[in-house]
Order: sequence, then structure tokens, then C-alpha cells
Amino acid sequence: MFAYYFKLGLRNLRRNPALTALMVLTLAVGVAASVSTLTILHVMSGNPMPHKSERLLVPVFNNGPLEGYSPGDEPNDHQVTYRDAMNLLASGPGERRTAMMGVGGSLQPERKDLAPFAVAGGGPTRDFFAMFEIPFLYGQAWSAADDKAGADVIVLTRALSEKLYGDVNPVGRRVRFEGFDFLITGVIDTWNPVPRFHRIVGMGAFDREDELFVPLASAVRHEWNNYGNTNCTGNAGPGYQAFIDSECTWLQFWFELRSAGERPALQDWLDGYAAEQRKLGRMPRKAPNDLYNLTEWMEHLKVVGNDNKLSAWLAFGFLLLCLVNTVGLLLAKFSVRAAEVGVRRALGASRREIFHQFLTETAVIGLAGGALGLLLALGALALIALQSKQLALVARMDWTMLAVTFLLAVAAALLAGLLPTWRACQVTPALQLKSQ
Amino acid sequence: MEIRPILSALLRSKTGPILVAVQVALSLAILANALHIVSERQAVAARPSGVVAEEDIFYLQVSELKNQPTFNDMVASQARQRDVLRAVPGVQSVAQTNQAPLSRSGNNTGISASPDQLKITTGAAFYVSPDSLVKTWGLKLTEGRDFLPTEVADLDMNKDDYQVDVVIVTQALAHKLWPDATTYVGKTLYFGTGKDAEPARIVGVVERLQSTGAEVGERAEMSIVQPIRRISKPRAMYTVRAEPGQRERVIKEAEEALRKDAGNRVIIRALTFEKDRLERYRADRGLAWMLVTVSVLLMLVTASGIVGMASLWVTQRRKQIGVRRALGARRIDILRYFVVENVMITSAGVAVGLLGALALNHLLVSTLELARLPAGYLIGGALIFLALGIAAVYGPAWRAASISPATATRGVV
Repeated sequence: MFAYYFKLGLRNLRRNPALTALMVLTLAVGVAASVSTLTILHVMSGNPMPHKSERLLVPVFNNGPLEGYSPGDEPNDHQVTYRDAMNLLASGPGERRTAMMGVGGSLQPERKDLAPFAVAGGGPTRDFFAMFEIPFLYGQAWSAADDKAGADVIVLTRALSEKLYGDVNPVGRRVRFEGFDFLITGVIDTWNPVPRFHRIVGMGAFDREDELFVPLASAVRHEWNNYGNTNCTGNAGPGYQAFIDSECTWLQFWFELRSAGERPALQDWLDGYAAEQRKLGRMPRKAPNDLYNLTEWMEHLKVVGNDNKLSAWLAFGFLLLCLVNTVGLLLAKFSVRAAEVGVRRALGASRREIFHQFLTETAVIGLAGGALGLLLALGALALIALQSKQLALVARMDWTMLAVTFLLAVAAALLAGLLPTWRACQVTPALQLKSQ
Repeated sequence: MEIRPILSALLRSKTGPILVAVQVALSLAILANALHIVSERQAVAARPSGVVAEEDIFYLQVSELKNQPTFNDMVASQARQRDVLRAVPGVQSVAQTNQAPLSRSGNNTGISASPDQLKITTGAAFYVSPDSLVKTWGLKLTEGRDFLPTEVADLDMNKDDYQVDVVIVTQALAHKLWPDATTYVGKTLYFGTGKDAEPARIVGVVERLQSTGAEVGERAEMSIVQPIRRISKPRAMYTVRAEPGQRERVIKEAEEALRKDAGNRVIIRALTFEKDRLERYRADRGLAWMLVTVSVLLMLVTASGIVGMASLWVTQRRKQIGVRRALGARRIDILRYFVVENVMITSAGVAVGLLGALALNHLLVSTLELARLPAGYLIGGALIFLALGIAAVYGPAWRAASISPATATRGVV
């Protein structure tokens, strides 16, 4: 019977074409608006490392001066000082640890046909690559000894490597960066997590991509400034050494634990560390030492902006309006068919059958609205992606969202169809037949 | 007016009218808030930066590929680059600078009115230039003077740590520091607080200069300028004012001239003020577009709902209309019946919608930190939907009025 009702439903699309078109269009627009904003929200709030996000943790100390501080004030920055980063790297717990800064500067290709150009990237420690499971196309990460010595070694991204060397494996060659020759130890394959969570402060969650990586110790040995956010509460004094020794925060730190259960132990360790530093005259605020796992971190830094949430809310309000509208239009469409229902009921159809038939017809409208809504959503996302590189990164349709579109459209239409269908079933056959 | 009979007819079949009223209420609640947000964002984006004729301004970030240059080397090459730029035809004015307004990245500093304060008064964008930003950007001095050439200091960032003791501030910053004062030149402000706070004497006040972030609110106009050439690497940024309409050509020729001067061992990045402004407000513009689109669709959907329901009622009441016409009702009476009926439904929707708009606004204010809704949007929105309702019902009502009594009473429903 369902197949038959389905066919009837398809045929009935042609009945009251204006009304039907209006319904399908209304549904489609409502679905498109909510699905496109939901897609963006979904991608933005995605978990880039779901299998270990509980084990990746970021520490934040409140190391500002006591003057002007009232208990409960947030730290001035979400990064750590060079001194803390070095202490945590040297003795902190956890399976892996990394600290990173931003590096940027000039790159001089060996090829004479390529003019020097500006590049930007990260200055992490070796653990960075294993911690974030970054895939290598050629070669590997630099060694622990390189980290220690601050050696001039470099890891390129695939895009930069192809720009410089084409499809050739460049491992072992040297590239001139910021006036120094760096030995290439590896080329990483395309690694494009969304959101780009590893250095949100100073780099953005959806902005630029790192093009290369050099050891933190190497960048510091060359006295390079942080290519990103640097936050100083007091005057650091002149020169690089003073800056390194200062309370300026400019490094992003990550712990990787063996299991999420080790988190309380890490918290205890950090509290102990901060207490020790206080004895040395640092961290006078005696504020709590914060610890965030990956998802908490993105939440804390408001990776999903209020404007995105606003868009999604309004889009769903709009979908609700479209549904109410569809209820009205369906009522209108079904009410002129009282006579038909009367005849069918008189010929022995039960209310249940009528209910099935009309609901199936509603579902057909929902499917049509869903299909059109999907096309509209794709168009809307393409339009949004044209706006900027950032939006291009988040405005992309994935299969989950595709399925959600259809389910949403059909569910919405069915929901809208319940009342009109119920009303259609209330027809009294005798009255209908008499009036004919 | 036949309000009572219309009302009792409405109360007998409630579903349709309720659906229409709900649509009006939902649309009004969303529309009032959406339009309010759009106008707020537009007001923010339309704030003046203090820089005149922004479309003629551009920036060049120049890095030379030199190994371990000396400080004097770098000073000399920057002076030369400035001369090279000034010689490009169509260049009106060149100033070296550390950052650009609205560029969303740069140097900020904490300013206080007195070193005895516990907290700084405000953060401010920290512009430095050995040349005249007042001249190149066309900043308007409301008091005092521009820097003198003798006040300019060359700072080796790797070694020196001295503050320059003269400063130009924006009017907004001066007012923030000394709310009761009427004149600011000669007053002393402090970088930071406490015993290490460095003093600087105000020599000039400019009407306006937006910060690098161009934040929403007063922070956007908290800026200071000092006459400093800061050098740590063979890198410099220049801001250039081109003659009106010449910007694109001047950028090209300026890049070529610099490249030639450095024997091609240089990386140049050109940026325009226009682009920085575009980028700064891109998200706001995007949101405004989305909200306008949703608002238009809201009205279309609501109007289509009213037309659909009204048409249905006309069809259902053909017979009744015929009888009324036969009993002496004029066309205008029928038309009025439907219009009045619709106004009643829409008014109910508008009443609920006003409450809904306030509730939605309350939610947005409390969870998404948006601004309160002024009453004007509520009144405007209510009027829009009343007008929309009458316009939408007019077609079906006209059709109803055109029903001839003879055909309508012939018995076919």
C-alpha cells in the first residue's frame, strides 16, 4: 500500500501546483538556511583529534603582577613564559610534551627562477609531530639531539616542498631561511585539521597554515621574535636575553598523557610547580593553575564565535516559521479533498488508511523540499565560501550533514503534516456524501 | 463595524487564524532583532578612522636579505628607501610606521594618568614613526603641534630601552585620562603603573585615530603616536599617500623602485588601507547580509502564508458570501470583512510577536552579549507586519468581493 500511496503522493504534487510549489519552496528555503548554518557550526566546533582529545592538555599560569589584581581575575594571556615552558619540558610529567612559538621570515630558494618570498610556520619541539600525529611524506622529524643543540634543521610542508623542489624528495638538502642554511629532515604530508587547534593564540583557528617547522631552540638561538601574540605585563628590558628571562607570555604548551585518568596527577604536579616558583618570587597572584583538555581549550578560546551561534539560532527560528507556514498550506490543500475522503471512507477505508495516505503524501512533499533544500544549501555554502579563505575552510558539506539535511526535511514535513492529516481523517462520510 | 460577528466567526474555526497569527508573531520577533543587529553592525563599520581619503593610502612591508647588518647599516638603508619612495611620481607623502589602523595586528601599550594608580587607565594602540603620520595620514590636530624633527629617536631594539618623552594622543584617550580637563597639551601621561612607569608629555591632540583592532566601543579610539624609528632587523614598513586615483600605479612603481634599489635582494608586501578595512568588517558584513536575506525571506514566507490561508477561506465561504451579496451587502462590505478579519488576526500576532521579540532579545543579550533592542524597532516591525497583512489579504479579498451572488448561491460549493 505504501508504494501506491507514494505514487499517489507524487501525482498529487500536480494538484494545486501553485500551493504545492509554495510548500516545497518554503520547506526548501527553511531547510537550506538551517543546514548551511548548522554545517558551518558543525565544522567549526569539530573535534580535530577525537581519539586523544581527552589526553591532550594545555596548562595556563596566572603569572601577572600582584598590583591591580583581584582574586578571580582571568590571566592576561593563555600562553606561558619561556622559563615555564623550559621547566615543563625538562621535568613535567606526561608521555609527550611540546612548547611552540611562531616563526616567520624570508625564504631564499636555490632555484634562480624563484624570487625570495615570505613564509611563516611554527617553532615546536620534536614531540609536536608525534603528539599531533602529523603524517610524513618524506623523511622524519628532527632528533632529540637537534632539539637540545638548537640545530638548524627544518621540516617543510608538502605545499612548500612542491613549490621549491617539485615532486622530488628534498630530504638532506639545505634551504635558506631568515639568512641561515637549514637542513631538511622531513616533509609532512597534507595536514589540515579543522579547527587548527595547535596554536590558536596568535595564529587563529581558521586563518593561516604553518608552512614549515624549525626547532624552538634553533629559533631562540637565532634570537627570533615570536611570530604571533606576545603579552608582557611589565617592561621586559632591552635585548633578547632580558625578554627570554621576563614574565612575558608567548609560547603555547601541550601535554600528552597516557590516559585521561592521569589528569588529576598532572594538576597536582602543576600546583606543586607553581608553589615552587612562588618560593623563587614568581607568580605572586597565587591564582589557580588552569588545565584544559583539547575540547575545553577550544571552548575556552571561543573558537565558535557568538555570531555563528546567532546565525544558527536565527536560521532555526526561520525553519520553525517555514514549518508553521507549511502546516497552514497543507491544511488548505487537504481541506478541499473532504469529498474524496468521504467517498473512500464510504467504500470501506479505515481512518488509519486515510491517515497513512495523507501522511505519505506529506512525506513526498518533504522529500521534494529536502532535495531542493539540499541544492539551495550547497549554493549557499558555495557563496559563503567565496567570502574569504577562513569561510572556505568551514563552509564545506560533509556526508553527515547531507544525511541530516534529508532527515530534517522529511521529519519537518511529517511534523507539519500531522495536524492537517488528522483533520482530514475527521471527515464524516455521511455528511460528505449527502452534500454531493 | 461588524467586529463582533467577525470575531465570533473566527473563534468558531480557530486553527487557521492561529497559524497565521503564529507566523506573524515569529516573523516579527526575528525581524525586529535581525534589523537591529544589522543597523548596529553598520554603525560600527561606518565609524571614521581619522585617516582622510583612505583609498589613497597604502603600505609597503620591506625586508632586505642581509646577513647580520649593523644598526647604522639598517638606519642608512631605511633612510634611502624612504628617499626612493618619495621620488616615485604620484607619491604625495611617505612615513615609516610600525603598524596600520584596522589591520588587526600590532603593538599595544598600557596608559595611566598617574603612576600611583593600581591599574592602567586603558590599553592603547602604540604607533611610532620617525616621520609625520599627521601629515601622511591627514590626522586632524585639535590642539598642540606635530613632532619636531629634533624629537625623533632611533631605537636599537636589541639594545636600547629608553622611552621618548613626547607623545601625541587622540582626543578620546585624553578625555579618558582626564575627564574634567578642557585642554590637554602639556599634561603628562604614564606608560604602565608603579615605580617603573615611564612619563611622556603631550605635545599634540588629534581628533581621531583608530586602533589596529578597531574594537567595538571606546577602545577603538585609544591610540598614541611617538616619534621613534624602531630597528631590530633589516625590515621596515612604510605608509604612502598617493595622489588621488593613482594608488595602483604608484604601488607598482614603488615596488619596482625599491627592488631595483636593493638589487632584488628584498621581499616586498604591499597592502592597502581599503583592504584592511574590508577584512576588519568582513564578518560583520557577512552576518548583516545573512540577516537581511533571512528578513526578506521571513516576510515573503509570512505573506505567502496569509495569501494561502485567505484564499482558502474565500473558497470555503463562497456560498456565504453569495448569500450576503444577495441580501444587499455591497462589494466594499465583503472586502472590508476580509480586511478587518485579517487585521484582527495580524494584530493578535503582532501583540504576541512584540513579547516574542523582547524575549528573544533578552536571550540574545544574556547568552550572546548583544545589545538591547530599542523600542523603535518594535513599533517599526509592528507597522511593517500590519501593512504586510493588509497587502497580502487584499488580493483574495478582492476576489471574494467579485463573486457574483447568482453563481455563489447556485448550490455548488
